[in-house]
Amino acid sequence: MEPKEQVEALENKAMEDLNDVNDQDALMNFRNTYLAKKSELSALMGKMKDIPAELRGAFGKIVNDTRAKIEAAFNAKKEAIERKAMELKLKAEEIDLTLPGRTHQAGAVNPCWVIVDEMMDIFAGMGFDIVEGRDVETDHFNFELLNVPKDHPARDMQDTFYIDDSLLLRTQTSAAQAHYMLSKGGKEPIKMICPGKCFRRDDDDATHSHQFGQIEGLVVDKNISLADLKGTLELFVKKMFGEKREIRLRSSFFPFTEPSVEVDVSCAKCGGKGCNICKGTGWIEILGAGEVHPNVLRMCGYDPEVYSGFAFGVGIERLAMLRYGIDDIRRIYANDIRFLKDFSEK
Amino acid sequence: MKISLKWLKEFVNLDGIEPEVLASKLTFAGVEVESIDKLASGTNLVIGKILTCVPHPDSDHLHILNVDEGQKYGVHQIVCGAPNARVGLNVIVAREGAVLPCVTIEKGVIRGVESDGMCCSLLELGVDKKFLSEKQVAGIEELPEDAPVGEEDVLGYLGLDDVILDLSLLANRPDMYAMQNVAMEVGALLEREVKLPEYKEYSTGKSDFVVTSLTDKCKLFGGREIRNVVTKPSPKWMSDILTSMGVRSINNVVDIGNFVMLLTGQPINMYDADKLLGRTLEVREDFEGEYVAMDEQSYTLAKGDLVVSSNEVPMCLAGIMTSKACAVTEETKNVIIEAANFFGASIRRTSNRLGLASDSSSRFVKGLNAEQNEKVLRICSALMVELADAKEVLSCDTYDELPHEKKIIKTSLAYINGRLGTNFSKEEVVSTLTRDHIVVKELEDGAFECEVPYYRIDMGGEADISEEVIRLLGYENITSKLPEGGHKGGYSEAQKNKIAIRRFLRNEGLTEVLTYSLVDLKKKDAFEYIAHGENYRLINPLTDDKEYMRKNILASLLETAAYNYAHQNKDVAIYEISDVDAKGLEGRHLGIVLVGEESLAGKLERRTYDFYSVKGYLEGIFSLLNLNPQRFRLEKLKSDKEEFHPYRSAMIYAGKDPIAVLGELHPNKAKELGFGKAPVVALELNLVALLDMKTSEKKASVPPKFPTVTRDLAFVVSRSEDYMNIKREIMRIDRMIVDVDIFDSYQGVGIPSDKKSIALSLSFRLEDRTLKDEEVSAIMEKVTGMIKMKFNAEVRG
Repeated sequence: MEPKEQVEALENKAMEDLNDVNDQDALMNFRNTYLAKKSELSALMGKMKDIPAELRGAFGKIVNDTRAKIEAAFNAKKEAIERKAMELKLKAEEIDLTLPGRTHQAGAVNPCWVIVDEMMDIFAGMGFDIVEGRDVETDHFNFELLNVPKDHPARDMQDTFYIDDSLLLRTQTSAAQAHYMLSKGGKEPIKMICPGKCFRRDDDDATHSHQFGQIEGLVVDKNISLADLKGTLELFVKKMFGEKREIRLRSSFFPFTEPSVEVDVSCAKCGGKGCNICKGTGWIEILGAGEVHPNVLRMCGYDPEVYSGFAFGVGIERLAMLRYGIDDIRRIYANDIRFLKDFSEK
Repeated sequence: MKISLKWLKEFVNLDGIEPEVLASKLTFAGVEVESIDKLASGTNLVIGKILTCVPHPDSDHLHILNVDEGQKYGVHQIVCGAPNARVGLNVIVAREGAVLPCVTIEKGVIRGVESDGMCCSLLELGVDKKFLSEKQVAGIEELPEDAPVGEEDVLGYLGLDDVILDLSLLANRPDMYAMQNVAMEVGALLEREVKLPEYKEYSTGKSDFVVTSLTDKCKLFGGREIRNVVTKPSPKWMSDILTSMGVRSINNVVDIGNFVMLLTGQPINMYDADKLLGRTLEVREDFEGEYVAMDEQSYTLAKGDLVVSSNEVPMCLAGIMTSKACAVTEETKNVIIEAANFFGASIRRTSNRLGLASDSSSRFVKGLNAEQNEKVLRICSALMVELADAKEVLSCDTYDELPHEKKIIKTSLAYINGRLGTNFSKEEVVSTLTRDHIVVKELEDGAFECEVPYYRIDMGGEADISEEVIRLLGYENITSKLPEGGHKGGYSEAQKNKIAIRRFLRNEGLTEVLTYSLVDLKKKDAFEYIAHGENYRLINPLTDDKEYMRKNILASLLETAAYNYAHQNKDVAIYEISDVDAKGLEGRHLGIVLVGEESLAGKLERRTYDFYSVKGYLEGIFSLLNLNPQRFRLEKLKSDKEEFHPYRSAMIYAGKDPIAVLGELHPNKAKELGFGKAPVVALELNLVALLDMKTSEKKASVPPKFPTVTRDLAFVVSRSEDYMNIKREIMRIDRMIVDVDIFDSYQGVGIPSDKKSIALSLSFRLEDRTLKDEEVSAIMEKVTGMIKMKFNAEVRG
């Protein structure tokens, strides 16, 4: 056979052999046979010297072209085999995607904290300071400075927990008002809320709790009127309960404010048409408020001729019960995780 | 307070005003109407006369009646079960289609006999049982012989066509416990005229009977002597009013007292003059001993209880209840009427202590106006003459130590508008106050003088005047605005840190709880490690289990965890931040309790909670607050209380002060608390101390220029050697050692039981050049030598 025919035959045989190559071992054998230094093709190259000089160039090109063809075919085959091997490997690594992920599920929060945190965020955003009072108070701060006179029924042993003649468990977060006002020396404007625990001598039942939470708000400055109170509470209510909520004020009474009002919010469930949540009235009572009584300002160091202010107080449990449809306040304090799991915050 | 609209109409014209509208106006003005109730109700009613009455053949108690229902409706056959049904009786018939409070009447067949309608009792028309006699409850109502047969306005005929407003009153409106003042309020709200009844003065002279007071708890005591009264049933108009107002009619004399109280708000007490021990009544508060009241119960009185005595014997527990000895009866001829002003707080304390209250005592408790005593006595005497045939009225000298000044409040238009945030005109304000029965005198410069009605004892200053304006004109007149001024506000650093800690713990899967701050005797000193002091103890606890303010919170948290453990939650991870108080202590603690296992991926991957779980949270908090852990010192907890596991618990100190206790619970304690054998881990941390610590300013750090070389070192040492101590000693050997980390700690098979195997990774680095291998090896040799020498370690590999 002419060397040129030998090259062609070799190419045909190589391509035939490559067809049968299916794994890495066969691939290596093929490479050794056709592409290595000691392969037949290399051997043919060795025969160059037997070829007339004028044909050597053409022959060399044929050999190199053939080699390139075989190499290209080999590489394509190699890639196919490797891809297949990878596919098999990956398939073997298949997992159950539906198993639970590895994380801590975020813990729940007692619903009262949800309310407190939301309110603190809203009022902090409106420029209120957050002030924290103490649970143990003197009757001077809890009652006297708040215009609750000595013989007022609220001061009876029947209604208030006493530690001694003058120490008691605060019955209202308003006690923190007086501390704060006195700390400001009767001069600085005040804008604060005070969240905290309160205590009253009530037997625990579905709607009463000897311990409960309140958030007290107080703004004192020159020219603070009921219009400021109304605007502030309107903004709060829209942020807390939704843009569409409205408020209305009803005349009421608290010893430390005058005038005093109860504040109702339009029912979120029926939008004011009347339903079982709002007992058909379209409105739900959510807080008490009013213009700070001149006596309170005076006793706490602010001249009522110069300064005025408004105050409000919200019951935390009541808001939590309304929002989440909780039927019994004792559930809040039982802290049963099966109950708490539904309440969360970021 | 129940208000009869029928009676109210005698004073104010309510034409065109629906009860709902009136109720709403009152409510918005601060006089809340809790409910609107009909005294009785029923449609399709008619007065009938029983013509025939024969026993039902198929029943032992039913009768078959023929009832004449007048010209319009004729005679109908009715089957009736009432025992008092009889021929000739006038009855209330509910005809076919009648809607009664509990039933709708239909034509029907009762045991084979047709029945068309029902004869009714007042109970069936909705009248409260307390106003009815036993006979009235047991059978059908027996109407008088002259009752108009065929009359369809039966409720009107009976005086039961009344609507009752039930007022829920606040402490500032005690005046609303008087019908006359309710009328004034309604007049102000509706802008209608109020006409109060006038009563004639029948007093013909002075009585020698003396009424007086020996205590400053009663500064006003007036009396009248009424002679030769005749006790008999009250006229129907009066008993109807009393029924509507929720008071049962007894007899004319007793009813007059109640009527005057309902009208004026002034409680009236009556004594049988002939049963008193002398011709004086004096109020005192120094009586001690037994007292038998009109209810025939005996009460033990103490000093401070106000009594009205005659010859030093108490005749009346002042303002609350007369004694049995001198109460008026059907036989009473001569009466002493008392109208006094007793100190409310005294009455309240006595009333609460004895558990004895009345309509009268509650009026004293809420506060009485003292400016109408003479008028009240006049009304009472007049009614005694007109309704009880009294022959003689004599006036006693009134004991009166009160100043009786006119209440005049000075204010101005600017003040009122400024306080309310409104823009009312002078005319609006003046006309509003005027219709509120305030006498306004205009001064110069928009100032007013307001003379307040005597019954408005709640009003004391100009703020009260502003409230009158807005409650009558309506809060909807206020245009909302926001406070001006640039107060910055927002959270303090400590508050932000607290929020961050809470968020961190929740993200770690812990649930935030809220527990009671009051605890029992057993819990008050439990888990007392980081805060001490004598507990605050209530002098008036409601129950034994809530008697002390807590000074530490783990006991409460463990109780909450145990509750959940007992209620199908074997794995519990909870925390709480709470104030703690004791004498000399104003603290705030964070408590964490972990029970069972931590879930890393559902139930698939779980890890049992142990000491390192809570330690990790504590270290996480230090890191979160940018507090260098080296500022804290850990020491084994030394305690003989068997609360914590003695070898798996620690105290953390910042300087000298303990700021945290943490550890696994002692197995005996865990069992005692109801956790069985489940592992329980707890932490209590003084947050005040932590949040007060100065944190170092954060500065950007430059990554090291030269590479870090690491070498591992494994050895076996005694179990009692602490890792932290070994690390500290290694770090001291050379400044090239920049860190030591533990990556294995093992005790168990293959290691002697008193030993443990430790594997450390040491990091070496210099800031100014690359380290040479020989240098590191040389230091490693020193390290090995040191731990052999100092810790008696056996170096492996």
